[in-house]
Amino acid sequence: MRATLRWAHSDLRTHRGEALFLVLATAGIVVSLLLAAALFGYATNPWQRVFAQAHGAHVTLHTTGTADAAKLARLDGVDDVAGPYPTSSLTVASRGSRASVELRGTPERPDVGRPLITSGKWLSAATPDGVVLESRLARALLAAPGDTLTVPGTARTLTVVGIADSAEPRYRPGEQPGLVWALPSAVAEPAGQVIGLRLTNPADTEYTVQRAVTVLGAGAIGEVATWQQARAEAQNDNRLLGQVLGLFGLGALVAAGFAVHGAIGTRIRGHLRDIAILKAIGFTPGQVVRVFLMQHLGYALLGAVAGAVLMEALGSGIPGRLGDAVAVWQGLPGQTVTLFAVPVAAVLFIGAVTGLAAWRAGRVPPVPVPRPAAPPAGRLTGVARRALGMRVPPALVLGWRKAFTRRPRSLGTVARLALPLLLIVVAMSAWTTLDRFHSEPERMGLPTALSVRADATLGEQETRALLENDPQVAAAYPGTEVAALVPGQTATIALRGLGTAREPYPFTLAEGRTARGPDEAVAGQGLLDLLHVQVGDWVRMTVGDRPQILHIVGRSIEPENAGRVISTSLDTLRANDPTLRPTLYQVRLEPGADPQAVADRLTSEGLGHLDVHTVTNPADGLSPLRAVVLGLIAVLALIGLIELLTAIGGMVREGERDLLALKAIGLSPRQITAMTVTAMACTAMAAVLAAMILGLPLARWLIDAQGRSSGIGTGIAQGPPALFLLGLTVAAVLGAAALAALPAARAARRRLADTLSAVA
Amino acid sequence: MSESTAPVLRAEGLVKTHYGEGAPAHAVRGVDLSVARGEFVAITGPSGAGKSTLLHLLGGLQRPDKGSIWLDGECTDGYDEARWAVERRRRIGIVFQFFNLVSDLSVADNVELPALLAGVPPKQARAEREALLEELGLTGKERSIPGELSGGEQQRVALARALVNHPPLLLADEPAGSLDSRGTREVMRLLSRFHQRGQTIVLVTHDARLASAADRVISFFDGRIVDDAALDGGPSSGKGISGVLELKD
Repeated sequence: MRATLRWAHSDLRTHRGEALFLVLATAGIVVSLLLAAALFGYATNPWQRVFAQAHGAHVTLHTTGTADAAKLARLDGVDDVAGPYPTSSLTVASRGSRASVELRGTPERPDVGRPLITSGKWLSAATPDGVVLESRLARALLAAPGDTLTVPGTARTLTVVGIADSAEPRYRPGEQPGLVWALPSAVAEPAGQVIGLRLTNPADTEYTVQRAVTVLGAGAIGEVATWQQARAEAQNDNRLLGQVLGLFGLGALVAAGFAVHGAIGTRIRGHLRDIAILKAIGFTPGQVVRVFLMQHLGYALLGAVAGAVLMEALGSGIPGRLGDAVAVWQGLPGQTVTLFAVPVAAVLFIGAVTGLAAWRAGRVPPVPVPRPAAPPAGRLTGVARRALGMRVPPALVLGWRKAFTRRPRSLGTVARLALPLLLIVVAMSAWTTLDRFHSEPERMGLPTALSVRADATLGEQETRALLENDPQVAAAYPGTEVAALVPGQTATIALRGLGTAREPYPFTLAEGRTARGPDEAVAGQGLLDLLHVQVGDWVRMTVGDRPQILHIVGRSIEPENAGRVISTSLDTLRANDPTLRPTLYQVRLEPGADPQAVADRLTSEGLGHLDVHTVTNPADGLSPLRAVVLGLIAVLALIGLIELLTAIGGMVREGERDLLALKAIGLSPRQITAMTVTAMACTAMAAVLAAMILGLPLARWLIDAQGRSSGIGTGIAQGPPALFLLGLTVAAVLGAAALAALPAARAARRRLADTLSAVA
Repeated sequence: MSESTAPVLRAEGLVKTHYGEGAPAHAVRGVDLSVARGEFVAITGPSGAGKSTLLHLLGGLQRPDKGSIWLDGECTDGYDEARWAVERRRRIGIVFQFFNLVSDLSVADNVELPALLAGVPPKQARAEREALLEELGLTGKERSIPGELSGGEQQRVALARALVNHPPLLLADEPAGSLDSRGTREVMRLLSRFHQRGQTIVLVTHDARLASAADRVISFFDGRIVDDAALDGGPSSGKGISGVLELKD
């Protein structure tokens, strides 16, 4: 043991750089895996916690005011109900911001879907105009207990008495109204009612919805929200972030594993003589294996512990959502297990990879005998001969040959170098796709930047005139959005009528064609998946008590509502219901216009009649991802650099064997150096090409798979621009050549006194 | 006790063939050899005769294709690589032509490592190392790394490393092969000195001058022993060149 320690210690002294790399690489891997775990935990758990504490309703049904919703309590499988409570829709304003809300009249605090008060208190008869706001709505309105909300267009005011968390679908400006609890007396003219159903078996949700619709009649049902929808919505962005991080963490783990394996392998090739001597003086093969394993496990352990400690101590201090996620995650029950399991798994993985290389070290013969020579590399090819004959510099020809002749090993080198490059290509693709949400939103299903709602006093013509009057508005498309029940009546989807036959809405199509004729529509991937239909199918849905039959002629890219959206023209909906009025206007801006500035201008020009929102860009929530992607590219570049150095070391060492022969046939040291540099550049080139050939389709597939599962749909993936790829190629090839130049030159000028050392 | 009677080293019917590029090379073809305690045996022959391979077989660095080796009367047929490694710690010291010091370790560490491996307490290992280095005239070089020393100095360090555990048997493979004449004289003087103290030595060399320092010279040619002569007395066997010479005398 003492001898082993002595050797390990002196090895550490002479190879500090390698040790530092291993420690840093492990720490980086552990940190990125832990961050991924934290994001996963954060994404899934707060909603779960709220749902459990609130004794949440699995299904929330909005019905007409006259329906006998209380009957639903007697359905099979319904354990408990909340309500029915009367509801009405309102627009409230506070400090200049407005929000459409659902006012829900609750005589006492509900037991199912119980609002969890986070500040203030519950409603009481003492303040008859008192309301409790859902926390996200309160945040959007910047409202706190004690504030007064106004109802624009009336003299009515509401007093905020409390803020509460709820597990129901959260407030989204312009899409999902915020939730406001009030005493039934404050809900003067109920427009409908809401009932929450708590089920004995949550898996029966679809069946229960179907039964409820049958009991009450399709015409009585407004919107149906299920717990799955609410959860998916709460998790959406963070889960994506977690998946991306996890994927890259694993990718980096594999790449680093290969790097470690390669580095140790090359180290062993470089140490063959020393290992042989160690064995000659009495190290057993087992001891040699243990020395290498112990050393590298030690470095990995140090790195893993450093990563875990760093995460635990500083993780919550990371700015932005990552920091929040870590802070929340640290309070979750499974956190301690993860905090231990991830570093342990990383260390074991590196241990396994090291074991392989160490086992090879153990098999080194105790006498440095020449290995049975490398498989005969074969003769110079005809092309090479001709090239030499045509006075192509011999260094180039021989370098090319050197890079590609010893097949298994040169293939291995190319593959190991290609892996981090491949991940870099994937990361660059992810970056470019995220970037396109901002640079070309019209190609990502976001052709319009503003969404405007007009109140009843403004007519359609007037509103459009007002909007299109603005110099930076390119077009305003009237539209409406209603909840529709799908066939089978198990869920609701968003049915949109946007644009008219004269002025069609510019949908972003990924498949099929635009909806031109009557009854033609385009749908998002989420809807196609939900209904198990394809482009070209006819679907029937129910809006109120009217059936609506539409022919899906295309698939649009739908970043909203998990893609569960079907869109047709306003004319088609009007054919079904002549009294239909547009409720919203989608505004397309001139290129380069600032949406927020235009929104402010339109709001002031609307004199209180217009409610203008900027369309939420799904990529906004992903902005921390861009920093992560950049960091990852840096880590991967580092791993690539290590692989490159390993490959250079190996190639230079291999070259020593032939050095004397090359000198003897009259190559100058400069030519020998050029030969190695050429070989390295060729290897790097091959690796970059392989990385691109494999990486670009892989990135497209991954991003499309992600888009498909999140409902946006395939077709958003975007490869990095050619300039980036060219830059990567040039950087890799020139980097390889530059890094190889110095060691190759030194090796070429070395005088070989000890031929044995070159044997390995 | 068997120690006094059994030879330190005995080999019977050793055969080793290298399979490399081209035709197989028959390095050792049927060698019988016995080395008594305290003997200084030189194995000489032209380069390529298979001397080094024979030495590697005797030290367990390579395994014979056929034949057996006895150490102190103990058969080593069943030994695996690890067991041979243990034997090399205690019973066999080896010196190579190219010194073969561990390049990353200091001189002191190179010498102490085998002692530590053999389980000697660090203090004692250090004392042994200091005594040996002093005897070999290397005091003050403890902290150097091998690359900083001259060839002669490196070979003395290698000798110290081989002897630090007082092994009954020292195997030396062309110990002066990469040294100048001064270094050669130095190494031979040291080998003779240790031999006079009772150290058993098997030396492989192609240099007849070195061989002359030994008690017994074995001529090795094409993988076989062609002559085995004791220098101080009469021939030990009637075969080979010495036998022929004797007949003519």
